[in-house]
Amino acid sequence: MLKDKLKKLKNIKIEPDKIKAYAVDMFGKPAGLGDLYREHTALLKHREWRGAGDTLYDYYRWLVNWKDMIAMVGKAPVSCVKGLMRYRWFASYLSAPAFVDRHVMGLRGPQLRMAHLHYNMIVKHTTKLIGISMRADERFHPGNKLSKKIVLMDEIVPNEVFTGFPNLIPIPLQTLPIFLASMVDQQITPPYLEVTESYGVPADVCPLPSGEAGVAIEDDYPKIGCCMISTNMPCDGSIMNTSFLDRRLQLPSHVFGVPLRYNDEDVQEYGVEEIKSLIAYVEEQTGEKFDWDAFFSKMRDYNEQLDYELQKWDVNKTDYPQMTGACFWLYRIFYFNLSGGSNKRFLKVDKKVNKIMMQAYEKKTPVSKVMRHRAVVWSCPANYYTSFANWLENCWGINVVMDMETMISYLEISADDKEQALRDLARTYQRSIMRKHTKGGYRNVVDELWRIVEEYHVDTVIMYDQISCKGMDGLNGIFDDQARERNVHFIWVKQDLMDPRTISRRDMRDQVNKYMQTVLQEEPVDPTLLDFEDDLAW
Amino acid sequence: MKDLKHLYEFENLLQEANNALVQEAKAQGKLALGYTCYHVPEVLLNCPGCFSVRLRAPRTGSLDIATYYMSNFLCGYSKALLERAIEGGYNFLDALLGSETCSEMNRALEHFELLHLVDNPNFFVSFMDVPFKIEPHTVKHYVKQAKDKIIHPLSEKYNVDFSDEALLKAVAEHNEVCRLMTEIGSYRKEENPRITGYEYHVLNLITYCCPKSLILDKLRETAEELKTREPDEKKNYRAKIVVVGSEMDDPEFTKLIEESGALVVADRFCFGSIPGREEIHIDPNEDILTQICKHYMVTSQCPRYMSHEKVQERRDTVRRLVKEYHADGVLYEQIKFCEYWGYERALASHIMNDEYGVPSASVDRQYTASSSGQLRTRVQAFVESLEIKKIAKAREANVHAQG
Repeated sequence: MLKDKLKKLKNIKIEPDKIKAYAVDMFGKPAGLGDLYREHTALLKHREWRGAGDTLYDYYRWLVNWKDMIAMVGKAPVSCVKGLMRYRWFASYLSAPAFVDRHVMGLRGPQLRMAHLHYNMIVKHTTKLIGISMRADERFHPGNKLSKKIVLMDEIVPNEVFTGFPNLIPIPLQTLPIFLASMVDQQITPPYLEVTESYGVPADVCPLPSGEAGVAIEDDYPKIGCCMISTNMPCDGSIMNTSFLDRRLQLPSHVFGVPLRYNDEDVQEYGVEEIKSLIAYVEEQTGEKFDWDAFFSKMRDYNEQLDYELQKWDVNKTDYPQMTGACFWLYRIFYFNLSGGSNKRFLKVDKKVNKIMMQAYEKKTPVSKVMRHRAVVWSCPANYYTSFANWLENCWGINVVMDMETMISYLEISADDKEQALRDLARTYQRSIMRKHTKGGYRNVVDELWRIVEEYHVDTVIMYDQISCKGMDGLNGIFDDQARERNVHFIWVKQDLMDPRTISRRDMRDQVNKYMQTVLQEEPVDPTLLDFEDDLAW
Repeated sequence: MKDLKHLYEFENLLQEANNALVQEAKAQGKLALGYTCYHVPEVLLNCPGCFSVRLRAPRTGSLDIATYYMSNFLCGYSKALLERAIEGGYNFLDALLGSETCSEMNRALEHFELLHLVDNPNFFVSFMDVPFKIEPHTVKHYVKQAKDKIIHPLSEKYNVDFSDEALLKAVAEHNEVCRLMTEIGSYRKEENPRITGYEYHVLNLITYCCPKSLILDKLRETAEELKTREPDEKKNYRAKIVVVGSEMDDPEFTKLIEESGALVVADRFCFGSIPGREEIHIDPNEDILTQICKHYMVTSQCPRYMSHEKVQERRDTVRRLVKEYHADGVLYEQIKFCEYWGYERALASHIMNDEYGVPSASVDRQYTASSSGQLRTRVQAFVESLEIKKIAKAREANVHAQG
């Protein structure tokens, strides 16, 4: 055995061009990242060498993520093991550390630290939600009291309004089984999509609501909660999968309607009435009263977080952006929708990150090894390839300084005036994830893009062509026409949101490669990342 | 059966969106107001001086340009409208009243504005925000939208009269059309109906696509004619079905279904008469506009309505129609890429089969019948399965009777 291993080691040949890459790597700058991947699975052969300090920090953070996951299991070991055996999606979360690794590839110094702080907060909050869901699951603990305190809501309903019910636990129904799971593990969605399609729903509908319906058909949602809040957000597909979810849950439910033509003043009264009606429904179902003091207190935190968010945006408008890649939007949607001011830990993380960011900005720290293009990413990103922006940066020096998902509502919510707060909430909800830009008229997505291109001094637009998104597909030609007029690099990247079988990660990369090599005739920053297989990866 | 006197003329009128009657009304100085969706209250577009045209794109061919603008993955109806608009086919319109009720149609109508597709300096497009459930505050919102997106712009731009008298006049005309269509449609409940689904489809489309004042005489005549019309003694169908689903403005589909052995006895699809041709009952003591708006909310069977009672009502309506029209089964149809009906038909057809005991089939189709060869095979198979079920039922009844 030992002899065989020694033989293999002797036979390893290092190609001359790779020696240079390894040499650069030794000094801590990212290079040869593609060589770290195993074929097909893209599992890392070893962790990335980032120089002593950064490597140690990265490893420490990797351990912290594991610690948080183990702590969750430690709090309710039996429930978690039962959950692992019962729910197909549960095991996907075991790959969460690999998810973080994908998103911090190539990062150094302050960028590495900021990203890790953000991702760890995502891990912490997710483990909290999983832990509660398992402990409250009536399949494992029939008639438990915790479940009665849970109000289920459609995942697109932001959490802000529920901060007024401090004794209740709002759980976004689809987030754990499908939305977040599909980001962590690209293999988890196809089985659910197949279930829905076998049931008779066409394969051309958006895979997000289709996958959610699949989880319902498979009976793979945790059995928790006293009632359900469904909503018309974000799109036609999610409106329609509500009847599949309702049918499975068999819980009292309430439709929370959010106006679509949200730029019009004449819809605002309806928006406010819907918030009031939602509050009244939760009060009626749970016997809890809306606590304005608790709500205002949390909205103060929410506003403070918003302030930190806007500082990130301001820094990214300058010549020295400090946070690029996927971290920006992933953290943003996470705290906006799932916390909405309720979890104070998010605020602590924001403070820390802000400090690091401002110091780095003052020192004019470059955000990455090479920044050839400032880019904006538009349309819905692919859940199965959330780290695509990191690849753009590492492979081609395309730094994503702003994206569509980050640009959700940035309105403050009044923390002292009840009527104003309701109006602010209504406006905020009208501008939530995936619907702020796809609803309310083309100006919200077309004109908004060109505004951002200008404000962020962007020369490249990575335009996701999410092939099943009817709201975006309907404007394909208009985007093309107007991009030509503006003379920006407009790179279409086809993807299928949740279904890597239709357009794989590799196919997505290939579309960028072709544009960069044929249209711009550029050489990649890291040639080892140009083409690799990761179809079997998490 | 003897041919209906006006059927040929009606069929010809359906060959063009800007048909002879539309041109005649325009020549009289009336405003042509386009719309596509049931959520836009049709009767409001028929106030004095105006007439509604529910947009179709008859004889659609290539959709190349619309596909460039709206990709391969959007429904054929929305793309056909865009293609026709780019060709200049809707230049007769004075306004287009839209609603953001489905993303695909919304995008198609936005192109009218973005690409300046109608050659008329006064032309405008407006979009209503339509709620997803019926509650007092959502009715109020819908009424407000009707005022802000239909009444105010039309009054300001074209000085259209929306007074109570004008509204009542429009409702009266609308109700007469509905009474006639209900009377004609009720013959489909007969054991051997004296009108085919295709004929009814043509008549009904005429009521959506032509100025009502110019078709009323002919509708009256047709209703009279039908009173004495004798159906063929030998039934020329093997099963009766209710068709339920998304937008279907090509009567050739109904013809194709009927050629395959099924008689379409109820049209519970978008552009059909259920809903669409129910009278609006006005209480003079209440606000007229509110009652009109409420009528459209209450009668709508669009799967976009999310609340429990509306979802249940949709299923119950289909079951009721099967019973009322003595149908043997239900054909759920969905225009390809329609998200709403993609989900609705899948779940509802399961429920019909498994829980309500109503045989159903579920199909998707293109915008035009000419490109739906497979549909014929699917319908034939469905008809056969209905026949087999009938035979099995009869046998079972015999066994019970004997034993």
